[in-house]
Amino acid sequence: MARRPRREPGALEREILAAIAAAGRPLTPAETLAELGVPLAYTTVMTTLARLHDKGALTRAPAGRSFAYAPAADPDTLDAALIARQMIRVLGAGAQRAETLARFVADLSPEDEQLLVGLLAAHQPAADVDSADGGPRR
Amino acid sequence: MTAVALVPFATSLLLAVGGGWLGRRLPPAAATRLLTTACLVTALATGFILAVVAFTLLAPLPPLAAVGHWSTTVVRGHDPLPAPAGLLPAAIVIGLLAAATRRAVGVGKDLAAAELTCRRLGPAPTGLVIVDDDRPDAYTLPGLTGRIVVSTAMLRALPADERRVLLAHEHSHLRHRHHAYTQLADLAAAANPLLRAPAATVRLAVERWADEDAAATTDNRAVAVRALARAGLARAGTAAMPTAALGAVHTDLAHRARALREPPPKPQPALVLVLAALILATAAAAVGTSRTTEHRFERAQATFAHRS
Repeated sequence: MARRPRREPGALEREILAAIAAAGRPLTPAETLAELGVPLAYTTVMTTLARLHDKGALTRAPAGRSFAYAPAADPDTLDAALIARQMIRVLGAGAQRAETLARFVADLSPEDEQLLVGLLAAHQPAADVDSADGGPRR
Repeated sequence: MTAVALVPFATSLLLAVGGGWLGRRLPPAAATRLLTTACLVTALATGFILAVVAFTLLAPLPPLAAVGHWSTTVVRGHDPLPAPAGLLPAAIVIGLLAAATRRAVGVGKDLAAAELTCRRLGPAPTGLVIVDDDRPDAYTLPGLTGRIVVSTAMLRALPADERRVLLAHEHSHLRHRHHAYTQLADLAAAANPLLRAPAATVRLAVERWADEDAAATTDNRAVAVRALARAGLARAGTAAMPTAALGAVHTDLAHRARALREPPPKPQPALVLVLAALILATAAAAVGTSRTTEHRFERAQATFAHRS
């Protein structure tokens, strides 16, 4: 498979952070690789995890012969969800708010919803059909 | 006033009617850049020309003529309208200027709020902030550095390949500073309400731009369609059943989904040229009007000096 058509520097770092957060528990390099679901070299994942640890984005604890990595939750960022919600309220308060937030998908109209449900059903890959209810993976 | 002065108004109308079509036909990056430029140039030109018309009409009024030292008959020229008619364009210019100022202040406040939030969220070495929240959401926060904010619920709702698409989409917003385009276009629309439709098209075009960047990180564009659908439904929190025909929906989201189901957009040099020509013509009309008006006032002042 001709993979990795274009890759931003730092994209893998963000994908790894997202994968660990999605798993909801500390992951070893091997587990992270499995969670990413792309054909990457084990060493690439290991080096990136170590770099994220150096940058303070991840904490790690010994697990067997390797480390298990978890999101770094330092006290200052614990209430990130709260900060984010506050900001959304502030930005939503303006009558004609500028499009300051660029949402991946904005609020849906009822017809949008039906369209998306239809699209999801039409584009379900064969391997994923048994979890086609759109719920959490696996 | 000459017919040249009407060009920016014709451009406004053309953009109001055809801007949406152009923005959907052009590749998204070109559409964003060209339409934003067109909106800004047109808004400036219409405002400027309205101000010039107002001032030229009002200039023969004795108090203004006395202050400006110009001949009332020469400055009046062949304008068929009486001087007080100049109050109408003057009132319009002041109203639009006030609307634009209000909008600029609003944008400034929003940007300040976004920047403050970036700081309060703390340093994020990768630009990604994951918030522990059971409401699925994902957005880009502009700022000096900017942040991609994704909730854990959104990450859990998506398989790995769709997560990659979502992250690439949001990163594209940050990297290309998409908020600057949408905010400039909105500002232009505040200063010239005819530009509201093209400004809305700029908002759609930046989403399409980010969609294309995101689709380029995968070898299968269907993954991008799925990511869009799954993230949208997760955020809406619904489990509706598919009933509607796919082609029948005409929202921005439907346009994005349809565009991702098609091959990547091709360059449209002819359309780019048309839009570029429109921008140049509008700017030239403003410059031309400025020249003629300056010339008229110079003559009026020369006549006045000669007489006294």
